[in-house]
Amino acid sequence: MSSKLKILIVEDDSGICSFLETTLASNGYGYLTSSNGKAALCMVSSHCPDCILLDLGLPDMDGNEIIRSVRSWSKIPIIVISARTSESDKATALDLGADDYLSKPFGTVELLARIRTALRHTRTSSSDSEVALTESFHVGDLCIDFKKRRVSLGGIDVPLTPNEYRIVELLGLHAGQVMTYKQMLTSLWGPSIGSDNKLLRVHMTSIRHKIEPNPNEPMYFMTEVGVGYRLVDEVES
Amino acid sequence: MKKPEIHLTNEKLAETCKDAAKTVLIIAAFTAVAMSLSRINNDNNPFAPTLYVLAVALVARFTDGFFYGIAASLASVACVNFFFTYPFHKFNMTLSSYPLTFAVMLLVSILVSAMSSQLKKQERIRFEAENEKMRANLLRSVSHDLRTPLASIIGSSSLLLEKPGLPAQERSKMLLEIQKDARWLSRVTENILSITKLSSDGVKIATTDEVVEEIVGSSIVKFRKHSAALPVEVKSPDEVLIVPMDATLIQQVLINLFENVEVHGNCATRILLEIRHESSRVVFTVSDNGTGFPPSVLPKVFSTTMISSSENADGHRNMGIGLSVCNSIIVAHGGQMSARNNIYGGATVEFWLPTGGGEDEQQAEDPYSRG
Repeated sequence: MSSKLKILIVEDDSGICSFLETTLASNGYGYLTSSNGKAALCMVSSHCPDCILLDLGLPDMDGNEIIRSVRSWSKIPIIVISARTSESDKATALDLGADDYLSKPFGTVELLARIRTALRHTRTSSSDSEVALTESFHVGDLCIDFKKRRVSLGGIDVPLTPNEYRIVELLGLHAGQVMTYKQMLTSLWGPSIGSDNKLLRVHMTSIRHKIEPNPNEPMYFMTEVGVGYRLVDEVES
Repeated sequence: MKKPEIHLTNEKLAETCKDAAKTVLIIAAFTAVAMSLSRINNDNNPFAPTLYVLAVALVARFTDGFFYGIAASLASVACVNFFFTYPFHKFNMTLSSYPLTFAVMLLVSILVSAMSSQLKKQERIRFEAENEKMRANLLRSVSHDLRTPLASIIGSSSLLLEKPGLPAQERSKMLLEIQKDARWLSRVTENILSITKLSSDGVKIATTDEVVEEIVGSSIVKFRKHSAALPVEVKSPDEVLIVPMDATLIQQVLINLFENVEVHGNCATRILLEIRHESSRVVFTVSDNGTGFPPSVLPKVFSTTMISSSENADGHRNMGIGLSVCNSIIVAHGGQMSARNNIYGGATVEFWLPTGGGEDEQQAEDPYSRG
């Protein structure tokens, strides 16, 4: 067997399937393909892929069922590929435990970036979260020092309030991944906080004003409209 | 999936309360009028039954169904009996004329109710017909619009398949063309999708409170990602503006407006987005320094009918769908959209959204501070 990373593609459209296969193969990944949910679940348990690309609209079952079932026993990263345009669908899939999502149509660059992010996160989160906290995170001019609990931009400290720091820290620990409002509220203020995300968003606005060179065209803290936030892990040039 | 049902019953309840309130108010008002008349006439009031017939007719006209009209007839007979016939302020059911009065009132209420429900039905039919016409227009224009890029995609791809020996430069040029067309198609489909979103749940759309800056920011990021696009300059107030909206739809409006500048702006070099907060609304102004709208098009930029007009028949992709979709999105939010040409050149499209009542502002006070 080769040491290639194996990616399971669960998609019923043959056109998209072959596009995904070609992209993955030409970028050094191994792949498996399944066009329905039942076979996909078998393949997950028998082949233990390193990552799953999952289309939500499958002929035999709801993609969310697959997420639920895989998450009951495994932490394999799942990237949802969805033609559904409704944001609540994306949020549901993420809250059920999917790691990220891509809306159709998407390009190869975006796809590969999401796969890299997802694979990296399984490796760091399998280690103790304390280890992750001693590290720091860099992207562009932005640096989050988890140990000193400090954020700097181009070497200059950014004065953040404690709440703002915790938000930045949370997004930094999951850099590259989208965090839903619900996930953020729960991990910042506990499960009893409810779903009113207004204050979170006001905090986000103030964070952007402190960190983004141009808050009206953010380059670090992206809004995933209707879903949540994402701190980029690669700055686009 | 459960939410809309609850919403519906809530709406029904509100409707019922409204109708009941109307009934009580009308009867009370007429009782008051009849009383003041009888005070003038020394407790002698021959008009009272007539007045109540009018009251019953009004109730039947302005409420839904037959129930309130019938209830009003009953109440009216009781009121005439209680207030305006001897012995005053006592019920006297022995008088022989009551069954007749009651029957007349009942008949009036039933007749008027039937008539007004007929009217409502006709109104609905007319509304539906208009909607249908709009949709048919849109479908026609959309399929017309889709044909050109599809023809180019099919043509270029079959050429690429048939002639493997084409020089690399030519191949990549055709592939780029295919990609451009496909992107454009994907944008059109997004617009069509949002139309179905608008018309599937009636006119009302589900809004959530959104921070304006976030929506603007993500629209600009998205717009700049797709094309090597024009820069967008933003002028906005310092305060954090929160507006109830369907975020994806408003984002789509902004992206449509930016893209219109790009495609139709004719040598526009910059886009300016200005945001103003006026008492109960937020105004968005998108302007450019291109050549502006052709004057003949300006009065009808938001109508779906302009798409098929000859002005755009030269295969030049028109802005028709985009702008009419934008307009219906804004109208569904309870706002308005307008377009004009600037005095110093270029076009401006402006729209506003209501900020809604300030009622939730207190709620958001401080639930997070204990963190």
